[in-house]
Amino acid sequence: MAADSEPPRPAAFASPEELADLRLLHLADTALPIGSLAHSFGLESLVDAGILEVGGLFDFLRGYLAEAGVMEAVFCRAAFRLAADSARELDTERWRELNGRLSALKPARESRAGSASLGRNFLTTVLALGESRMLREALESAKRLPATSIHHSLAFGLVSGALGFDEERAVLAYLHQAAANFVSACQRLLPLGQTDAARILWNLKPVMIEAARRSEGAEPESVACFTPLLDWGAMEHPALATRLFVS
Amino acid sequence: MSSPAAAKDTPPTIDPEAPRVEARLALDFARDAATGATVLAASVQEPPLRVVRAFALDDGSALAHLHNVSGGLLGGDRLTLVVNVGAGASVQLTTTGGTRIYRPRRNAPPTTQTTDIRVGENALLEYVPDAIIPYAGARFAQRTRIELAAGAGLFWWEVIAPGREARGEVFAYERIEMRTEVMAGGRLIAAENIRLDPRGSALRSIARLGEYRYWATFYICRVGLDLAAWLATEEHLRKAARDLKRPGETLWGVSTLLADGLVVRGLAVRGRDVLAGLHALWNTAKLRLYGRVAVPPRKVH
Repeated sequence: MAADSEPPRPAAFASPEELADLRLLHLADTALPIGSLAHSFGLESLVDAGILEVGGLFDFLRGYLAEAGVMEAVFCRAAFRLAADSARELDTERWRELNGRLSALKPARESRAGSASLGRNFLTTVLALGESRMLREALESAKRLPATSIHHSLAFGLVSGALGFDEERAVLAYLHQAAANFVSACQRLLPLGQTDAARILWNLKPVMIEAARRSEGAEPESVACFTPLLDWGAMEHPALATRLFVS
Repeated sequence: MSSPAAAKDTPPTIDPEAPRVEARLALDFARDAATGATVLAASVQEPPLRVVRAFALDDGSALAHLHNVSGGLLGGDRLTLVVNVGAGASVQLTTTGGTRIYRPRRNAPPTTQTTDIRVGENALLEYVPDAIIPYAGARFAQRTRIELAAGAGLFWWEVIAPGREARGEVFAYERIEMRTEVMAGGRLIAAENIRLDPRGSALRSIARLGEYRYWATFYICRVGLDLAAWLATEEHLRKAARDLKRPGETLWGVSTLLADGLVVRGLAVRGRDVLAGLHALWNTAKLRLYGRVAVPPRKVH
């Protein structure tokens, strides 16, 4: 019998698909301890300025998913394919290039740092759950060059590819946790009850699917994103007098 | 008989059979070793793009006005601007007015403008144009690539208007795409890919422009300054930006780039607030980074 400290082996009757689905659910859970709850990515400033209110939340999230959601999904896919195409060795040059480009596409320092914090924590957490040569190399290659960040969408995609998840499910799961984190942040910033928050997230699912579809044919080098008000919110956040979220 | 005012507002007549324009404007600025002043050392000018001459400014910089003698960009036009600012040179580029993007004929390809800028060692480029004004139905794609060498400086902005507001054309254009990359010492420090499609996506969404109509992006770079210097400059500029902020009318945000610079984002309901804000922030940044004031370019008009 295995000791309590040893990870249990998958039950003989568990199919790889079932295991992959459960692992994906686990990694996309907003309760995964990577620090998601600490960041508002500009939302706090929009609420503070009276720009974002409960009544406009669904419309805001729909726009967010159509812009930043699609962009992050494109990078998530690119990392997924990078892992899936790598037999054993990670193409570290492409990995750093993708992270560098996504950093350059994020104009607000605070959102850039937040995404990089989540990505590194995500990769570290997954490696604590099970060793992977490719994922270890992804983490170490970024450490070797201090200027290289690891963004959350890219880490999520790379892990999903390395663990053999389905690409479409992985992209949808990434988008779902991103939207869920925003709704969660709004529950702390706005008079938004649990039932209304659940309804908003429920009604956003077709929007997530549309964002995932639109990300299929786009490339990291050309994907567009236009979220100027949210960028302003993230740029303004370090100057807020009182802050609930990390700055 | 139409009034002069009405005639002024009448859109230009575009011959659907007219050949499309493919033109290039290449400007090569250099620092004169004897005088220290910057001169326009060489240029290639293909109509309708034109620079009449480079004007000498008091601080030794050269000022050039970018003309489009056809008055604006027509459907299918393919224009290329190449600017090389040699080592130690200092250049100010501006337009003579708003860049008007006319409505193209049906099925015409988008109007494209490609800009390729190189700023040499310890050189400075100030690119301070008027707004891009997309007419109803306009389709416009712009690609800009800026390369900065060691010690190079950059003040570069772009403003997009919602259209010809006086005619009631607000977000009546079909599509605008703008891709911009800024490289410093071979490293990508900023990238923007935006696609504005008022018919397909709600620009008034709070995730996009909300109640604002004008959008500006402003890059402020000086290669070689360390992160601590940029964070301090960010804070300095943020205070200036906050003085300009009027919720519901204009907002300004400032943030440090990956390295070697800052980006400023502006949103405004009225165009005059955008250009006034950009000039104020340009002056604040130039005083801090170069110890001298920003001199707004004299316009031909």
